[in-house]
Amino acid sequence: MPEIIIDDKKFTYDTPGKVLPFILDHGMDLPFFCYHPSLSIPANCRQCLVEIGTPVFDRATNSFKTDENGEKVIQFFPKLMTACSQDMSDGMVVKTHVSSEKVRRAQKDTLEFILVNHPLDCPICDQAGECPLQIQTYKYGPEGSRFEYKKVHKPKRIQLGPRVVLDAERCINCTRCVRFTHEISKTYQLSIVSRGDKNYPSTANGKEFDDAYSLNTVDICPVGALTQADFRFKARVWEMNQTPSIDITNGKGTNVDLWVRDNLVLRLTPRHNPHVNDYWMPDSSREAYRLFNENRISRPEIKLDKELVKTSWNNAKETIAEIIEAHDTKEVLVLGSGYASVEENFVFNQFFTALGCGKASFVPHVVEGAGDGFLLTDDQAPNTKGCELLGFRAHTNRTFKNALAKATVVVVLAEDIVGRELANAEDLAGKTFVYFGTNNNTTSKDAQLVVPITCAAEHAASYVNVDGRIQRTFAAKETVYTSRATNLEMSTGRLDRFGTKFDNWRTDKNKVDCLPVWEFLSELAPRLNQTLSYETGKEVLTAVSSSVDAFAGVDYDKMDTEMGVVLSTPETEEKTA
Amino acid sequence: MAIDFQNYKTLIIPQGGNLRDIKAYEKQGGYKALKTVFDARESAWTRENVINEVKTAGLRGRGGAGFNTGLKWSFMPKPDGGKRYLAANGDESEPGTFKDRVIFEFNPHLFIEGAIIGAYSIQADAVYVYIRGEYRSWIRFMEQAVADAYKAGYLGKNILGSGINIDMYVHSGAGAYICGEESSLMESLEGKRGYPRVKPPFPAQRGLWGRPTTINNIESLANVPLILNMGAAKYAEMGAKTHPGPVLYGISGHVNRPGVYEFPTGMLITDLIYNVAGGIRNGKKLKALVPGGSSTPILRADQIEGVSMDADSLRTAGSMMGTAGMSILDEDTDMVDFLYRISHFYHHESCGQCTPCREGTGWLEKILKKIKNGDGEMRDLDLLLDLTTQMEGRTVCALADAAAWPVRHTITRFRDEFEARCRKSVFAIA
Repeated sequence: MPEIIIDDKKFTYDTPGKVLPFILDHGMDLPFFCYHPSLSIPANCRQCLVEIGTPVFDRATNSFKTDENGEKVIQFFPKLMTACSQDMSDGMVVKTHVSSEKVRRAQKDTLEFILVNHPLDCPICDQAGECPLQIQTYKYGPEGSRFEYKKVHKPKRIQLGPRVVLDAERCINCTRCVRFTHEISKTYQLSIVSRGDKNYPSTANGKEFDDAYSLNTVDICPVGALTQADFRFKARVWEMNQTPSIDITNGKGTNVDLWVRDNLVLRLTPRHNPHVNDYWMPDSSREAYRLFNENRISRPEIKLDKELVKTSWNNAKETIAEIIEAHDTKEVLVLGSGYASVEENFVFNQFFTALGCGKASFVPHVVEGAGDGFLLTDDQAPNTKGCELLGFRAHTNRTFKNALAKATVVVVLAEDIVGRELANAEDLAGKTFVYFGTNNNTTSKDAQLVVPITCAAEHAASYVNVDGRIQRTFAAKETVYTSRATNLEMSTGRLDRFGTKFDNWRTDKNKVDCLPVWEFLSELAPRLNQTLSYETGKEVLTAVSSSVDAFAGVDYDKMDTEMGVVLSTPETEEKTA
Repeated sequence: MAIDFQNYKTLIIPQGGNLRDIKAYEKQGGYKALKTVFDARESAWTRENVINEVKTAGLRGRGGAGFNTGLKWSFMPKPDGGKRYLAANGDESEPGTFKDRVIFEFNPHLFIEGAIIGAYSIQADAVYVYIRGEYRSWIRFMEQAVADAYKAGYLGKNILGSGINIDMYVHSGAGAYICGEESSLMESLEGKRGYPRVKPPFPAQRGLWGRPTTINNIESLANVPLILNMGAAKYAEMGAKTHPGPVLYGISGHVNRPGVYEFPTGMLITDLIYNVAGGIRNGKKLKALVPGGSSTPILRADQIEGVSMDADSLRTAGSMMGTAGMSILDEDTDMVDFLYRISHFYHHESCGQCTPCREGTGWLEKILKKIKNGDGEMRDLDLLLDLTTQMEGRTVCALADAAAWPVRHTITRFRDEFEARCRKSVFAIA
């Protein structure tokens, strides 16, 4: 097997590749800015310079030259080479800053150059704390600068597009954003304009940067040059905690991170998953933070005199029990939803079928032409596949209307049926309508009873994407009934760990009074002489995997270690065959 | 070895007749080499033979690097059925260089003939002639010449009945120095921003539109018909041994008769200044000389004694042949001012792709401006030298080197002048 020697340590490799990714993959460090694993390699930041040598091949003897000790003679390139663009070869010797003074000097020199025209506004820069330039300057940079002149001034606060703001002075011209629009989103909207130290990325004259994936450029920007318009100046990185999750705004199941401060989701960023979304996510998915924060239903609500008023959880349970007791369970329409997780749908169905209601059904939400073949799908719901695999009947709009007309009681899980125009207020008139939902909407307005349930940011639950991959979320926000301190799965940020009770950054006002569906129904079960007892989504999924064939062998640990599990559905079987 | 330059008969720019007229060029023996090659391409002039002839003639690229042209052609991979290109570099933006312009104006067909032979030998389908955008009139001359060559059947489909097709396109640059660098020239030809490419892959592997490409200087290609006409052996005897052939010397600066002069390589610099260019103007003394375009290291008057214009001699003297665009500076020249102007140029022309060049060129200029304005300190000179080491050899292309060399060599070779302009930055405490 070919080998490569990095800082006097021998490594073997089987797949040819570049030196820099190899170094990074093996847990060593090497500073870089312009390199990105999913983009082309321009080698323009010159930060990953290393000494590279190769064994000398003697054509006469058809073997490598050796010295008196039998060691291969290594000939080093006269210049420092960029590790990102250098292909590995057998016997190559690489010297990084660990073993080469020359490389250490070069790293200092390049950083000094980069900082010549980079404003030192870290205290007010959004990138501070997660800024490769800041980190690498601390680690490898010079102690000070010898530059005593006025820095070059470039445009600041440019609204490049509806979602992206540019500060050209901070730009270090790594061209990652330009390459992203050329190679990944293929809109070719950005280009470097002007020349030399005056250059910066921009759109063509009069054109907007309205790429459907434009915010990825903010993520890959190694400095604070590109910022997200609706996150700018909202929070410092170290005040938030970062929780892995799944995008719930379409069927792709893009892996994301939720950034939470004081129980508000402030932004979503893509999380690397080579099987689903690589490093990217669509701009529309980032809007999901509003769903988690705004317009949430908190405490159960009951309709009195055409007005919804807050009520107690006990009253909510009692009301549901009374409704069930007062009606023929055959006349109850139980509607699951592709917008809710596998666990929620499963428990919802289990509870009501046990009472004698018919099996839950759902109405898929597919918008033809909404997908783009990349990360946007025609399927608008994150868990359509999950509902199918649970064996829920998929209604068309027409069959749903018919089913609705026959029912006297309608129990809906998280589906905005009025907002989606599947039904209107007249269809629901005269029926007893119970709505389990996360957000206030037109549907919740028409309900007799509204039960607030946890959203994807508040519970651990799993979703099956359009390709049959089941992936799960983690609880990122606290509800009134959960706590970061006791739930070990919840991530804690710096302030959670080191803050004091006198800190005023943390309040209770953003905690929503809601319960996971399984918890609420488990509490309700004894009242209706049922046995149902789930405390966590994990327990529910265990029940799912033991009772539904498609989910056999799936658990949270497997999903976590394998970045989601592809379920054995007819389609996925076909693909692997 | 003294060259009998007084009796030298010019070859690239022959005397007499308007050679922009294709008829006049043919009358002078033009396109003879092309016809010979195409007539005898089955027997004597196979592609390999042409390449070998140019190789043995020892023709070295006239664009600055001085690489053997025939050797460069031999790097082209075997044809795989796809397109292959020859790009002719007439961007000519190095300050002090203005030789290709003379070929465009006075003997365009010599270049066209050479380019066709070159394209034939590397099996290129098309020749792109990249001419700097400021050369408006010269672009028109070339367009006319190319049109005439098409009409005469030297270009296009089935050239001279040989079944070989070669097209030639004249492309105007848009005013960027960096587009004279071969890989950014290709980017520019492809319609992209002129950023140099990372090598490897080299142009012979992945050039224009990802296809094998060779890039030659205009003057190098113009030498090709001369080699074939006189034979490689005779050509190799012209001028300096390791760097033979006729060269267009672009002489500018403080001389009485500046201009482009054609002589063999290996001319004594003193001959060129005092006998060819008529000496320093106003009878002043020579102070310094930049031998081959502004990026080549400057030579003091005492360094040019006995030095001739060829790669080896100039390397020994501590400089480079470059493009043979010589700038002569007389004793009144302010070296600080001179260096500031050069640094200003490189700052203005840095494409901004790589960090050391983008930021370094600007920094150099700012320090030099401070020194020029009399606010400089001694330590600034050492900082300048430090910055040149930080820039050299650490970028994708050679522009950082081109910007750093003049600074380094002008300061080391004229340090006293710079120090005289600077305030002390360290004071003795007694």
